[in-house]
Amino acid sequence: MSGPRYDRERKLTMAFVELADTLIDDYDVIDLLDRLVSYCLELRLADAAGIMLADSQQILRLAAASSEESTVLELLQVQSGEGPCVESYRNASAVMVADVTELSGDAGRWPRFSAAVARQGAFRSVHALPLRLRGEAVGALNLFHGSPGTLPAADLALAQALADVATIGILQERAVHRGELLVGQLQTALNSRVVIEQAKGVLAQAGGLTMEAAFDRLRRFSRSGNHRLSDVAREVVNGDLAGQVLGVSADRP
Amino acid sequence: MNDAGPVTRALRNLVHDGGGGEALAAGICCASVDGLGVTGAALSMCLPQIAPAHEVLYATNATAAHLEELQYTLGEGPSLQALATGRPVLAPDLRDGADAWPILLSELRQHASVGALFGLPLRWGVIDLGALCLYRTTAGALAGAQLRDLLVAVDLAAVLLLGARTDLGDGQWLDQLVRGRAEIHQATGMMVVQLGASALDAFARLRAHAYAERLPLAEVAHQVVTRRLRFTADT
Repeated sequence: MSGPRYDRERKLTMAFVELADTLIDDYDVIDLLDRLVSYCLELRLADAAGIMLADSQQILRLAAASSEESTVLELLQVQSGEGPCVESYRNASAVMVADVTELSGDAGRWPRFSAAVARQGAFRSVHALPLRLRGEAVGALNLFHGSPGTLPAADLALAQALADVATIGILQERAVHRGELLVGQLQTALNSRVVIEQAKGVLAQAGGLTMEAAFDRLRRFSRSGNHRLSDVAREVVNGDLAGQVLGVSADRP
Repeated sequence: MNDAGPVTRALRNLVHDGGGGEALAAGICCASVDGLGVTGAALSMCLPQIAPAHEVLYATNATAAHLEELQYTLGEGPSLQALATGRPVLAPDLRDGADAWPILLSELRQHASVGALFGLPLRWGVIDLGALCLYRTTAGALAGAQLRDLLVAVDLAAVLLLGARTDLGDGQWLDQLVRGRAEIHQATGMMVVQLGASALDAFARLRAHAYAERLPLAEVAHQVVTRRLRFTADT
């Protein structure tokens, strides 16, 4: 048994066990999506990953990112109107760009996205997989790689499985049982993301942290205490939880 | 968008006509009654400085106004539940026994018959703006397309209401906000600490600065996030 392969299978098993645990009771969609993009990195499916969800105006908005670094966030945000995610969302199918440098000769396709990727120079290939629901899509999972090439079929299948878990997670959240529409679910998840951005700002200012470090504190506090990520974020902005979130993390470097 | 429902379309027209919070509240209430076949609608706004106080901005008829006031008096009802949970509250058939709001319904039924109630939250991030409440004299759910139309319209109304609350008369901020630029929210959070203010007040300051400097909101937010611009409570 080869080491790396065994390691991946072990991680994969752990990921699905953890996901199954997450989906059992009162869970937080935004937390689930955050875990899913982390798995994409742990399972070596991507060097950076993000999930975009369609808002009520059918514009894609950022819901989760593997890294809060501004480079990754920018590449995701620039796709609100065009790019692999939009195409994947509209056609409910996978979009693969084996080498982004070839996009520059194809500027008509996604001019803003291509320009942002070229300017950053961090990634060479991009994949987008739809969050599928009955032949349509509600968003897309975006995978970035530092090296060119398309993903092997097995990786693609695994990434699509994670994207499907994301869709199931959105649909299954508690409110759906009360007969709400999916659009309400997506709205709630996207609103949670806004709260998280606001909370990152509070922690960054109060603790003198980067946005990335601020999110890390938020995530660690929420997971160590088994709190919902969006609840913690709301308390940080509205209440007096900021000190605690910063304090707890300081004790655990 | 071409496939927008009647409520959303009516609200989009309002964007072009301009007008403050009250015109907006009247617009979405009337559009809901016309477009969704409900009997009445009321919109109330949170007053964060004196939380948990609320002000009923508009109601299409006396029952709707009474219904909205009564909820805040009694501390129960679809608007309050929508605000507390941040989610739509749909009670399409109030005959089905287990009433969620027993006192409210018994009070209401002394004056009017109420068969269905719907409460929709208006919020942006942590900023609670208010709630929209719809009622129907007879029981009956909103059809899928109607509910979708309503949710889209309420989402748009929340952003417009946020604009009305921090009004400066400019227009460009709306698009940036709707497109969800993360730095705008991050800057708002940083300013909550810098100013010791609520998220709503912090956001108002951000917009005021952008307006005064004639800069895009996203650009000012970027300056705050990169720590080139810092606000203080007394400036």
